[in-house]
Amino acid sequence: MHKVEFKQLDETLYHEKLDNGLEVYILPKKGFSKTFATFTTKYGSIDNHFVPRGETEAIKVPDGIAHFLEHKMFEKEEGDIFQQFSKQGASANAFTSFTRTAYLFSATDQIEENVETLLDFVQEPYFTEATLEKEKGIIAQEITMYDDQPDWRLYFGIIENMYEKHPVKIDIAGTVESIQDITAEHLYTCYNTFYHPSNMVLFIVGAVEPEGMMAFVKENQARKTFEEAHEIERFFPEERMEAAIKDRVLEMSVQKPKVFVGIKPEKLDFEGEEMLKHELAAELAFEMLFGRTSDFYHHAYEKNWIDESYSFDYSLENGFGYAIIGSDTAEPKVLAEEIKKTIAAAAEKWPFGQEDLDRMRRKKIGFFLRALNSPEFIANQFTRYTFNGMNLFDVVPALEKMEVADLQKAFSLVSAESQQSVFTILSPDKKEAE
Amino acid sequence: MFETIKLAKGVNIHVNETTQFKTINFSIKFKSKLSKDKASARSILANVLQHSNEAYPSHTALRMALDDLYGTSLYMDSSKRGNEHIVSLNVETVNDQYLSETGVLEKVMNLMYLVLFKPNLENGLFKESIFQREKNAVKERLESIIDDKTRYAQQRMMELALSDHPAAIPANGSIEEVQKISNEMLMEEYRSMIETNEVEIYAVGDIKPEMVADYFRDYFKFTDREKTPAPPSMALTKPAQPRVAEFEDMKQGKLHMMFFSPVTFRDEKFPVMQLMNGIFGGYAHSKLFVNIREKESMAYYVSSSYSSQFGLMFVLAGIDGKLEEKAVNLILQQLEEVKAGNITEVEFGQTKALLTNQLKEALDSARGQIDIYDQYMELTEAFEPEYLISRWDRVTKEEIAQAAKDLSLEMTYFLSGKESVANA
Repeated sequence: MHKVEFKQLDETLYHEKLDNGLEVYILPKKGFSKTFATFTTKYGSIDNHFVPRGETEAIKVPDGIAHFLEHKMFEKEEGDIFQQFSKQGASANAFTSFTRTAYLFSATDQIEENVETLLDFVQEPYFTEATLEKEKGIIAQEITMYDDQPDWRLYFGIIENMYEKHPVKIDIAGTVESIQDITAEHLYTCYNTFYHPSNMVLFIVGAVEPEGMMAFVKENQARKTFEEAHEIERFFPEERMEAAIKDRVLEMSVQKPKVFVGIKPEKLDFEGEEMLKHELAAELAFEMLFGRTSDFYHHAYEKNWIDESYSFDYSLENGFGYAIIGSDTAEPKVLAEEIKKTIAAAAEKWPFGQEDLDRMRRKKIGFFLRALNSPEFIANQFTRYTFNGMNLFDVVPALEKMEVADLQKAFSLVSAESQQSVFTILSPDKKEAE
Repeated sequence: MFETIKLAKGVNIHVNETTQFKTINFSIKFKSKLSKDKASARSILANVLQHSNEAYPSHTALRMALDDLYGTSLYMDSSKRGNEHIVSLNVETVNDQYLSETGVLEKVMNLMYLVLFKPNLENGLFKESIFQREKNAVKERLESIIDDKTRYAQQRMMELALSDHPAAIPANGSIEEVQKISNEMLMEEYRSMIETNEVEIYAVGDIKPEMVADYFRDYFKFTDREKTPAPPSMALTKPAQPRVAEFEDMKQGKLHMMFFSPVTFRDEKFPVMQLMNGIFGGYAHSKLFVNIREKESMAYYVSSSYSSQFGLMFVLAGIDGKLEEKAVNLILQQLEEVKAGNITEVEFGQTKALLTNQLKEALDSARGQIDIYDQYMELTEAFEPEYLISRWDRVTKEEIAQAAKDLSLEMTYFLSGKESVANA
């Protein structure tokens, strides 16, 4: 077991890669009574085209299958696994993102039993056609619920605008129609391909004793047999640099129009240290341009173009990414234009210097330290960083090394007009009035 | 956990000195009687005070100062509990021992002072442009609730069922009342908040109670104020209409049901109702989840919640617009099971284990510690999680069945799409 101390942060991380390929991380938190654990596979909604384990030909699977599989993992021959966690005083849950599926629990008691339940239920699939049908009704209601949420539609709308072919444009849960095609065989194919321990990370954080817990996990894994680890072949379509759709309007009943401007990065194959640096630099750059202390924010607020819903964000994964800026606004066209103008002006001449960087750096370091109070943040983010070849605990040193030129360079990759897109939601009545 | 020091009559500071967190959290709570106009004015006030002040006269200047203090988070909010309206100033700052700089804490406490005591004024009133802008922001926040159909349906049901009862008054007030507030009225509310509201100050982190208490005593100089006597509990009156259906442009149907319970937070039977709610619909092992979601596959979410201040229980479900009647029947069937005492040892044990876990977990965050302590303060002087847990252990199945029998269904509200009616 490796032990890594982060002295400045007062944290110690324990790590071991097991013989079956599973990466196990344990981070004890002093003073905490709860333990939070995530068991995550590097498999999300975008992984819909791949060579199944043991085969040679690539296949395509129905939209929404990773999320469907996540739901079905909880059902076993003997019943629902939530029941087991509840018996052991644990709150369990799971989520599927574009790139990951995570199973998790938090508990203040019976930690070993709960870790065992977590490992065992994810490593013992049980899918039958009959139970699949039932799940379709539940997930259809989940999809319908999201369909009624304008902010969710706005978020997916702008991603669909930016990407022409990449599966990031497909809703994580799929559609009510696409999930009808999912069979038990599909689920087993996906499971066998992506749920091998060598494609997974177990992260345990909180009131946990590292040596004993690591031994417990190893013993659990040693009892099971797995096939050999192998490299998973995943396929993604060639995506052009330009935004696929420049401008699109969705009619939906909303109190006030909503608009997002999205920018697709010019380079999408980041990983490791380079990714960490680019991501942090781009986040700092967008914070300076669009954050609450920016000239843009001040101006837009004074002009009444933005309200409390205003947000901006930069997300990056291997193969896709986006900056998104927008708000509910009575003036969606004007706001989108102003956002674009602000980007163009900064691309023309970078307006920020050392002092701005120092302030933003302090802000980011503060945010990071605050976030380390949260076991959920640590486990989820650490796993995401690991899957992208980065280390979460390198954030502070990387921020300290950051220079103004790094921000300029990162921003230059996420700024060209051709990479930008606008997505607006207007009420049907308001649209006619325009 | 918390050490309480009295600063003035009606003003207390509660400090939890702990190394559990890498940050120091403050929360200053101003408590007043709840009414629609008060809630409206105080929500605007929270926005105006966090916008800027005398020393940092623009939003940008204040936010830059916070960024410089290692991204200290500072915000004000409006909330309510029972008959009380609460305006809170919430601050979280990094403990300087993790930084290469010291003196951050003093600067942060000074900023809190400026936010509360040195507002951005002109001619004795709040700066007019900021007042207008923030008044509008609160109004729009209230208007936007309709875009979140679950929140909207719950709010509509409460409005229809209990209109002006405190249980139905939103923490941010109402659109009509917000529009009526003038700058003069806001100033009056501000003075009353600072000078006459009861104040509870919380601090959690690696800090000395005496040091913080001295600072607040010497700089904030809160004056004595009368402790507002606990308001008489307001009886719930039966809603005029037991069933209402409304329609909006939407796909899913939102089913909301409201039950009255004679048991409130202050009752001896409070732990019984907590368990009853948990077994019925509070968790993923509950009867509602297992039967409506897993067996019938009718819903993605279906749950019950117990609002203990006034003794209300709600059931919420997202279902197909055509299945209201079926869902209501199935939900009531599950309630019958609880009434009949059909509760297994397993369900009983699971619910106790999860209530315990929830409580202990909440105490692993500074905000959770503050919220729980502030809520339980009125009941016992010494807050003891172990005591609360032991109360659940003493509850019997018969008591739970009785608590279910004592519930009365008072209102069913269904919000669904216009199309689902046309096609039905």
